[in-house]
Amino acid sequence: MDQSLDDVWAEFEDLFGQARQTLATLKEPQPAHVVQASVNSLFRTTHTLKGMAGMLGFPSFSKAAHRMEDIFDLMRKGRLRSTDSLVETLEAGILALESGVAGLRRGRSEPEDYLQSLRRQLGELEALARPAEGASQDLTSLIDLPPEVLKALSEYEHTRVTALLMSGMPIHGVKVCLDFATFDERLRVFSEALGSFGELISTLPWDVPGDREGLAFLLMTACPVLDPAQLPALEGELLGTDLLADPARVPTSLRDEGQAQPVEVPTPEPQAVVAPVASSQAQEVEILRLPAHRVEALEARLMAVGQLRDEASLLLRRTHQAHDDRPMALMGHIEDGLLDVQKSLLQMRMVKVESLFSRIEPMVKSLSRDTGKPVKLTFQGGDLELERSILGKLTEPFLHMVRNAVDHGLETPSERAALGKSETGSLRISAAQRGRNLRFDIRDDGRGFNLERIEIRGLELGLLKAGEVHTPERLHRLTLEPGFSTQDTASQLSGRGVGMDVVRAEIEALGGEVHLSSEARRGSLIRLSLPLSRAVVSCLKVRSAGQGFGIPLGSVVRVQAGRAVCRGGDQVLVLGRSLPLESLQACLGLPEPDGQRAFVVLSQQGAAARSVEVALGVDEIVGRGEVLLRSLPELAHAAGIMGGSLQEEGILWVLDPDAILGLAMDSLMRRVARV
Amino acid sequence: MSEGGSWLHVRAAGMDLVLSTLDLREVVAMVPISPLPGRPPGIQGVVVYQGEFLPVLAWEDLPGCPLSKVPPMAMAVLRPRLAIPLERMIGMIDLSTGAHQEADENDLTVTWTGGRVRMGALDLRVLDPDRLIALLRRFRGER
Repeated sequence: MDQSLDDVWAEFEDLFGQARQTLATLKEPQPAHVVQASVNSLFRTTHTLKGMAGMLGFPSFSKAAHRMEDIFDLMRKGRLRSTDSLVETLEAGILALESGVAGLRRGRSEPEDYLQSLRRQLGELEALARPAEGASQDLTSLIDLPPEVLKALSEYEHTRVTALLMSGMPIHGVKVCLDFATFDERLRVFSEALGSFGELISTLPWDVPGDREGLAFLLMTACPVLDPAQLPALEGELLGTDLLADPARVPTSLRDEGQAQPVEVPTPEPQAVVAPVASSQAQEVEILRLPAHRVEALEARLMAVGQLRDEASLLLRRTHQAHDDRPMALMGHIEDGLLDVQKSLLQMRMVKVESLFSRIEPMVKSLSRDTGKPVKLTFQGGDLELERSILGKLTEPFLHMVRNAVDHGLETPSERAALGKSETGSLRISAAQRGRNLRFDIRDDGRGFNLERIEIRGLELGLLKAGEVHTPERLHRLTLEPGFSTQDTASQLSGRGVGMDVVRAEIEALGGEVHLSSEARRGSLIRLSLPLSRAVVSCLKVRSAGQGFGIPLGSVVRVQAGRAVCRGGDQVLVLGRSLPLESLQACLGLPEPDGQRAFVVLSQQGAAARSVEVALGVDEIVGRGEVLLRSLPELAHAAGIMGGSLQEEGILWVLDPDAILGLAMDSLMRRVARV
Repeated sequence: MSEGGSWLHVRAAGMDLVLSTLDLREVVAMVPISPLPGRPPGIQGVVVYQGEFLPVLAWEDLPGCPLSKVPPMAMAVLRPRLAIPLERMIGMIDLSTGAHQEADENDLTVTWTGGRVRMGALDLRVLDPDRLIALLRRFRGER
């Protein structure tokens, strides 16, 4: 795809991100004005998506975005109430558009209808919102303003006035006169303040008093109480405030009619109205979007900073013999400062894994509804961070695998009941750091892979040879081969677009691996391992065989040093428990020491109480610190080493704790075998 | 191995070698190599190059390479991100006038060279980065 479109794709990505975030806020109880602001934002977002797609020549996408825009329009006009099921449908719609954009980015042709799977739900919503003949209400006439002013109100503003009055909300007018030079900025300040008190319905031009110069406006706002003292007015700006419409004047027959209203939330206490609402504040976080080439330039600067810090470290090492402490101290400060810069630049590239999880949840809900399979979805490890670029490439394959798990993996409730399983299927998605990799597990408790069928299909396709024994591992792996499918026809949900071979290709292109396993009637596990290229790691620093090593603190259970000399193969007593000890040198194939007085107790990362624990003998405990981990290139991969970090005293090798535990156990077994 | 382009004549591991400049990122002065604990065969350690770790070839692990006592003075950084220690850089050379020979089956260096070129009294081995990388990967696999 044309790289000049990078900016456009990035903008699509941002818009979808905003839409997902805004929809997520609608799932929680919010004050009416926050709901209204969110719906307005979603309306604008889909409007922009529609325009961008039209500009790029994607008419089907534009049409689908227009349909979503219409639904948000119905919501903002108060004709649709924000409910959980409505928000779920909208989430599914946004997800369908997002997947569509991912397809377009890959050069796929446009489907006829992006929202095909939601056709029924959207149709029902539109039917629900359609007013009955003669049933439309307009309470704008209750506003105490001249008719010629009211004529300026849009259809949307009419519906908002009506809905707000019927929900019992008073409507106030704030008249301001602003200076020519600064009116736009001042108007924004007033609008934001009134938006935080309640809902700003309209900003109308107003007559400038005869003795004044400037521009005057009437800001029509709905809020329980309006205190002029709380307005951000500069001297002379405020002309006055009025109660324009009192909900008490709404005919009793029209109140509580159940006409579309925003979600029901308690009316804010008067003293609370001046405090901006936390969730609306959260939405005001400015998102800075950078085109891809700028990010690349930024990353090049990151490399340059890294180089600078390396040179500083080298200089520091070379001048270590000098006795003048001042330049040393100065260099130390520079080195620390550069590490901070590196860390913050590095942080800019990272995003939390939960942003990936947030895309999965609505899709699973929608799949669950469409397939009639109740699913208990759980996530773990959302706080871990991954490079933005990797996460972006991971989304499509991930959604495909989850879709497969629900569509093909989980049985129907009746099938599950017949097997003695709970009717609700389980789908567990977890992320965990394992050594130099970030590992994702997608685990379901469904039927597992049908290995018999895979074998037959493999033989039919010529991917397997008859008469040979095919291990379960080989058969599982076969499903990752290009063109392999046991499905004769693609279902409505899966079997579209991305196949498992594409998933594998994409994961391998990221330097990762896919591993599949399953057990008949017990479930399946898809495991993805992705390498972490750079990260800041908190380490325990130790020395052994004259070299510095870092052990990630997450795996360190205890550090112990004493007078007793220990050797590899000894048992040491740690808090009343006897643990096997192996020297770090033996694990790494280095010459073994005569004896060591310090050891570090390591356990498997994230493992439960009964995990493997080994005491790792080291020559010296140096301390702890945060280090910038650089991964080793493939040709230099060494067993037990996760990567390295350039330090004042040379390279600190950061150990891969799980691999070291494995190497220690192997070494201990060899000792036993020798005896 | 890259075809065409110009060739750099170097001395490394006690042998005369030629490297295609098309396979070369640059030649840099030798810097101290950080030995890699539990290093894979064929790699003696790493140096930091452009902010990243760069593996450095261990000549003595390659078939047909005698252990040279001459300390390296420079490193050729190959495009596939591998540093090759050089004892000496001799200069650029025009291979078109030389007689190209396929590698002798008995020559152990055949696993990492792309034949030999005889130019007068000079017998030059042509370093083939693709074969060299494949050999290093094979070492890892056999480990």
